[in-house]
Amino acid sequence: MIERLKSALGALNGPNTYGNSRAFWVLFVVGVVGVFAYPMATGSYRAGQASLYLLYGFLALSLCFIWGYCGVLSFGQVAFFGLAGYTFGVVTLNFGAGATVPAALAGVVIATVVAAVLGYFMFYGGIRDVYVAIVTLAFTLVLYTFMAQTAGSEWAIGDARLGGFNGMPGIPNITVGGTALSGETFYYLVAVLLLVTYLGMRVLVNSRYGRVMVAVREDEDRAEMLGYNTKFVKFAVFTFGGLLAGISGMLYASWGNFIDPSVFALSFAALPIVWVSIGGRESLIGAIGATFFIERLSQELAATGSEWALVVIGALLLGVILLMPKGFVPMIDSYAKVGLRWLKKKRGKSEKEVPAVDGD
Amino acid sequence: MVSTTAPAFVDIFSLVNLLLQFLDSFAFLVLAAVGLVVIFGMMGIINLAHGEFILVGAYATTLVAVAGAPFVVAVIIGTLVTAVFGILLERSILKYFYERPLDSMVATWAISIMMIQGTRIYFGNSITQASTPFGSISYGPYSYSAYRVSLAFVSLAVLAGIYLVFTRTEFGLKARATIQDADTARAMGVNTERIYVLTFGFGSALAGLTGALYAPTLSMSPEFGQNFLIEAFVAVVVGGASVVMGTSLAGILLGAISAFFSNVYSTFWGRIALLAAAIIAIRLMPYGITGVIEDFRDRRAAGMSVKEALRIPAIGVFLGFGGGKND
Amino acid sequence: MTGIDRRDFVKSTGAAAGAAGLAGCVGGNGGGGDDGPTVGIIEDRSGNFGLVGTPKWASTRLAIEEINEDGGILGEQIGIFDPDPQSDNTRYQELVEQAIQQEDVDALWAGYSSATREAIRPIINREDQLYFYTTQYEGGVCDQSIFAVGATARQQLGIVIPYMIDEFGPDAYTIYADYNFGQLSEEWTRIILDENGGNLLGEEAIPLSETDFGSTINRIQEEDPDFVVSMLVGAEHEAFYDQRLSAGITDIPIATSTNMAQGYGHRRLEAPSMENVHCGVNYVEEVDTPASNEYVDAMYDRFDDLEYVNQEGQNNYFSVYMWKEAVEEAGTFDEDAVKEVLQEGMEVDAPEGTIELNGATHHMTHNMRIMRCDENHEIDFPGEPEIIEPTFLEEDIGCNLPENPEERQYEPLADFYDDPFPDV
Repeated sequence: MIERLKSALGALNGPNTYGNSRAFWVLFVVGVVGVFAYPMATGSYRAGQASLYLLYGFLALSLCFIWGYCGVLSFGQVAFFGLAGYTFGVVTLNFGAGATVPAALAGVVIATVVAAVLGYFMFYGGIRDVYVAIVTLAFTLVLYTFMAQTAGSEWAIGDARLGGFNGMPGIPNITVGGTALSGETFYYLVAVLLLVTYLGMRVLVNSRYGRVMVAVREDEDRAEMLGYNTKFVKFAVFTFGGLLAGISGMLYASWGNFIDPSVFALSFAALPIVWVSIGGRESLIGAIGATFFIERLSQELAATGSEWALVVIGALLLGVILLMPKGFVPMIDSYAKVGLRWLKKKRGKSEKEVPAVDGD
Repeated sequence: MVSTTAPAFVDIFSLVNLLLQFLDSFAFLVLAAVGLVVIFGMMGIINLAHGEFILVGAYATTLVAVAGAPFVVAVIIGTLVTAVFGILLERSILKYFYERPLDSMVATWAISIMMIQGTRIYFGNSITQASTPFGSISYGPYSYSAYRVSLAFVSLAVLAGIYLVFTRTEFGLKARATIQDADTARAMGVNTERIYVLTFGFGSALAGLTGALYAPTLSMSPEFGQNFLIEAFVAVVVGGASVVMGTSLAGILLGAISAFFSNVYSTFWGRIALLAAAIIAIRLMPYGITGVIEDFRDRRAAGMSVKEALRIPAIGVFLGFGGGKND
Repeated sequence: MTGIDRRDFVKSTGAAAGAAGLAGCVGGNGGGGDDGPTVGIIEDRSGNFGLVGTPKWASTRLAIEEINEDGGILGEQIGIFDPDPQSDNTRYQELVEQAIQQEDVDALWAGYSSATREAIRPIINREDQLYFYTTQYEGGVCDQSIFAVGATARQQLGIVIPYMIDEFGPDAYTIYADYNFGQLSEEWTRIILDENGGNLLGEEAIPLSETDFGSTINRIQEEDPDFVVSMLVGAEHEAFYDQRLSAGITDIPIATSTNMAQGYGHRRLEAPSMENVHCGVNYVEEVDTPASNEYVDAMYDRFDDLEYVNQEGQNNYFSVYMWKEAVEEAGTFDEDAVKEVLQEGMEVDAPEGTIELNGATHHMTHNMRIMRCDENHEIDFPGEPEIIEPTFLEEDIGCNLPENPEERQYEPLADFYDDPFPDV
């Protein structure tokens, strides 16, 4: 029994995630407790605000997964995000607040299907490397321009008008068991979903599939020669990324009761790349943490009303990307390793015997 | 449009409308894209601050022109200022990103938001616009801005200039060698670092020229450069990485589609048609027009006849069986 | 009064300062606690709307500062919460939540575009926040928590289109920005043309990011109208005026409800690209009356970098004073009490002249003027200012918010009028 539990927990750890040590997991549990205690300490408003940053976490994870683990840089994760949000809006505006759960599923399904179709066209069409970024960006900008001009009453799906530049207002909150989730309750929904997703993704990237993904990232041609269908791997990873982005977008529409074409704008499309680069491309926890931190910071800076807010954010990003090429978490991880080695060495052990604190 | 009993000559004038609109769209697409394509095609960097390089050119040109300099002088100064600006940026920041081109997107994005807001803080929300040279071309009941049409010829000259720079100069030769294999080029005695600087400076100058040329026609604000981004990225997707061939053919194709639909139907449909063309191009030509041309060359090199090589398996491509450039 | 219940709940569960704020709301001295009364000014100072939003922010600040210097309201100094939403609607949503729930603002001025208004409206309605939306807009918002004090399309086009028909002839061609504001303004253009014996030759919707107007100009020439009605918006669309100049058609006069009054194109674009443009406005800084000049001087004295005092800035300015009067009459900052006072209607001495709040619809009468631009980009105002009432909601729709607290937007053709030009 204990063995089985151990192996189940063991699946969470592996060479493809940062943070496999006991110390990490202790900190992690403390962190999770902190996240769940946060609304009790701060109240409904802060929880509502924080749930936005947490729901962006799915968007960050989606890019981290396909870029960090499979080496495919998508500039268009917000396209799936936005499509899921719009789908959620269209379904709920047609069928009312009672249909929010089917609407949420529909949003995620649409995002996944569109990601699958685009991924199929791209990867089976032979698009690689930086061209994926260009094509996905163009796809997103096309959606932006298109959605911005759907203002007329002819652009409606059932009772739901797409609304063009003005967007789609009046989207109901996601409702579970007759309770409309907002404030704390919405926060807990997002937090639980994010926790489960994070742990599930850790298992996934440390599994056999994760190793294949990393093989494709490290050397696609060699992986192909070893008999892996790299096109299919990239297609599948991209599709799953679309699903994650879809969860994020669906939650976003429910959070703000509103969605507009700016979710497809270049300024928003660049954000997931920024979050993931800062947190560490190959670190799932880094992506979530960086998203929360950067968004919270931009909000606080905006709230000061200073004209320098955007300059400060830009300078900060530039500084981080210059000084921490691999991102924040990998840098912390390597410092932790050096520190631990030094400690163990002091205790007179041979360096070689020291197991890495955090795998790599 | 209600078209009353129009005499035949009106239709000729309508054709002129269409032609001028095409030249206008072509120029905008080509000029919006060239700076981006040079830096992307030669260095593999997606410059998300492309719009802000255009902004530098536009502001420099406008300030000089409003101060009283002749427009041509202002354009030259605007272009040079942007080139110098690009080189300084490359030396101080972007050179650290050559090993990691994807991170350079974060860097250039950060630069972009800082520049937009910095411009706002320094120059305010707007500066006074320069006046548009030339007047109008009149024909029958219609007229068109002569300046905007003349930009089509400027854009052709720019493309020709780029072609000459990369094929006929020593810098061009070395640049192409560096792009193909930097190590070998270095071994052959090419100062690759210098080549990167110059290429980046050249790309910046082209973006600056675009800003300079459009400065009198669009209203001046810190978001000036954002006007060009959608067209620029769509042109890159359709054209591919080849600077001259890809960009010019993309300009012709997209310009024709956009002009036809906005002229015959409405500006709205011109926009929709442009986007639809981009989506279809992504599917049919994953590496853009450049990829199609390279495929054609490869097939020819593999001993196919021109006729065989020209046969693009469009239906197969659409269903996802091969096609495009598979390297 | 679910609004009060909601706020009480938020406060009792919220930050410690909440208790003090609550005491302030019901206290006999009309406010107090550690916080004191606060207003939220959430107006764009960067991003796409920075150009037009900055004068709104500055005007609101100026009004509050003047009031504070004068001893405040009910003896209290008014605090200001003025973040920069950076023209980003998600950020607006966050900041409005913060303003209401954390800063506990007693009145809110927020948002330039109608998209922003729609983005924050669910929050405003949920929290029953006293809110002033001051941009000139398409009209028809009948919403119990919103005071839409800017001029509506009915008022702006209602002054300028009859003038154009009298002056230049009946045939019009309309170009408009392809979104909610432009489309509803285009509907108003049809109705007002019809009411004044005008005729619509054609119309074209222009995508918001469009900068190329070659084909549009050709179509205008083809139709050869007596005047063009333009509801173009934003910096991109200003390219139309340059292309109009370089295509040499400045002799075709233009009527507009947007250009010049908001983004001061006559100051920023080269002359004479705005020549022969006529904008229906309730105010711009060129209005030459003692009240106007005093306000404009105060603005430039206070803000060194200010580029222009636009129509919307003035709307923020007078609505702050209107709120002050309502608070003083109510004797409290309590939002429901203040709203009740406002809903009785109120006369306001604004820089544009004396105007009146219509309590039933939360809209204003306005002194409407025709702002005419000549070849040197000098402004004059032909004719006398004319008071135009916000008749659409009050008379046509029968919006009566004190009796029937709705939260919706009415559209002219969908909800009241028949399309007078169904074939165009």
